[in-house]
Amino acid sequence: MKKKAIALVLAAMMTLSLAACGTKTAETSASPEASAAANKTYTVGICQLVQHVALDAATQGFKDALTAKLGDKVTFDEQNANGDIPTCATIANQFVSSKVDLIMANATPALQAAQTATNTIPVLGTSVTDYGSALGITDWTGTTGTNVSGTSDLAPLDQQAAMLKELFPDAKNVGILYCSAEPNSKYQSKVITKLLTDMGYTCKDYTFSDSNDLATVVTTAAAESDVIYLPTDNTVASNTEIIKNVCVPAGIPIVAGEEGICAGCGVATLSISYYDLGYATGEMAYEILVNGADPATMPIQFAPKYTKEYNADIAKTLNITIPSDYVAIAAK
Amino acid sequence: MDILGYFASLNPLNLLASLPGNVAQGVIWGIMALGVFITYRLLEFADLTVDGSFATGGAVTVVLILAGVPAPVALVAAVFAGLLAGLVTGLLHTALGIPGILAGILTQISLWSVNLMILDGANKAVNVDKYSLIVSLRNVGSSIIMALAFAAVLIMLLYWYFGTEQGSAIRATGCNPHMSKAQGINIDAMKVLALCLSNGLVALSGGLMAQYQGFADIKMGQGSIVIGLAAVIIGEVLGDALFSKKMNFAIRLVFVVMGGVIYYLVIGLVMWLKMPTDMLKLLTAVIVAIFLAVPYLRAKAKNSFSLAGKRGVQKNA
Repeated sequence: MKKKAIALVLAAMMTLSLAACGTKTAETSASPEASAAANKTYTVGICQLVQHVALDAATQGFKDALTAKLGDKVTFDEQNANGDIPTCATIANQFVSSKVDLIMANATPALQAAQTATNTIPVLGTSVTDYGSALGITDWTGTTGTNVSGTSDLAPLDQQAAMLKELFPDAKNVGILYCSAEPNSKYQSKVITKLLTDMGYTCKDYTFSDSNDLATVVTTAAAESDVIYLPTDNTVASNTEIIKNVCVPAGIPIVAGEEGICAGCGVATLSISYYDLGYATGEMAYEILVNGADPATMPIQFAPKYTKEYNADIAKTLNITIPSDYVAIAAK
Repeated sequence: MDILGYFASLNPLNLLASLPGNVAQGVIWGIMALGVFITYRLLEFADLTVDGSFATGGAVTVVLILAGVPAPVALVAAVFAGLLAGLVTGLLHTALGIPGILAGILTQISLWSVNLMILDGANKAVNVDKYSLIVSLRNVGSSIIMALAFAAVLIMLLYWYFGTEQGSAIRATGCNPHMSKAQGINIDAMKVLALCLSNGLVALSGGLMAQYQGFADIKMGQGSIVIGLAAVIIGEVLGDALFSKKMNFAIRLVFVVMGGVIYYLVIGLVMWLKMPTDMLKLLTAVIVAIFLAVPYLRAKAKNSFSLAGKRGVQKNA
């Protein structure tokens, strides 16, 4: 018992002495900041929800944009919650307590945790569809009025609905397939259902809880629909192979909300690039860090450009003629 | 040079500064671990309901707070929702004869749909700027105090309860169900009671966590059983190491909560080390495994048989 007490005291002393070293480094790194604003260095914390093609691309775009503008004056503390929701709070706490200059939150729970953690450090979100519901703001106007801004991955749903009409004018039943755990997908489904119903289609939601029951749900959806629409759903994006294996043999075409899903199992999409989205977020970060822009008044930005794309393999298999203004997705 | 640069980039002050937040989150998970302790240790029942009931607690709390109910009342409702979840698992197991693990899994997956209905979607934010919350990441200091107060009251209540006749009957049921039955204890009732109690605590923790992080998410409970079990075992190992035979039931409960804190300190440490982010789970597992293995290996080295074996070798040589 005595030995343990001594060991504990020693450990505490070591920690304190380490902390003392830390104080010194903090002081030395603080001095150039005071001397010249031009030489100011920035630390940016990046909190990403999970390893995922689209989210990875957004993070990369963000880093590329800031590095292009600031070079080695910016350092990134990049953390990934590995899909654990409560870990987002741990990461947000880490960033706020180490006083980063800006937090980039990639995906909805990351943004919510960061927004809860601080009302002073600027927070930029990306890969978030609907900022109003993500932040619990009921009278949504396009700006948050707080330290939060960012980019939305909302695909232009009206144009997607128009595209579906252009490609499949004779279809009647549209199945909308998404994961019940994703608020963004539900939101998109609600919006596009209204648009498609106005065009004369009958829409039905097919939701699954995870990849285990996906195959069953897709089979039902394929049996009951003429066309399937897939929103920008992360779980769908990770399981396109399952969907393809059901829908292509059944001869059911899929219109997808984004390029990655379309490359896996879709016929056509009106695509946004998550890399571009991340890049736009990086440019917003530059405005805030260097030019002192206020996130409270910065409107949420949307993807800078959309491209009509199609999956040549699946279109050929299903014998669908694609208009000439569509671009084939590069084979992977 | 690169290695030096790496160490220079680690600022110990940042690790210290992040401590309070990690402690707050750890105490909240420690309350959840108390629930796991009741089923896993006292009842010897691996209850997988918790992955669902944790999110249920969060969902009920957030939805009620958004509806204008004061946060403490919302938490009470969350506890009742958790009790109900535990009741379902208990009845599936005792009244319908479904094996314990499966009964927990069935409740857990059904709670997914229930939680979606409660939340009316997959995710709901409860903005700390608009509602007065008991704990919040915005206010780490007061969160620690509130979470510790919750934990302290719960530990006292549990200590008292498991000393009563009914509480002792639950413990006896876990130790030796056949003997308990022979003593006239209704072991089915005791199992259901313990499961209710456990899931009530888990839901309370879920309600606190949802307030702390500022939202409830359908996936927030995923993997919580792992954190709960890790906290229980880390706490026990640590308690045994510090108190060995003097460890009583009250100290044991305190160390279960400590286990949650240590788990989150480890995660904070791994993040601070700025390792490749994909390694987070592996490194956490390795550090926790070392934690658990060291006392075992030390005990093994001190084991009288192995010492006797060594002496024997020396004599024979």
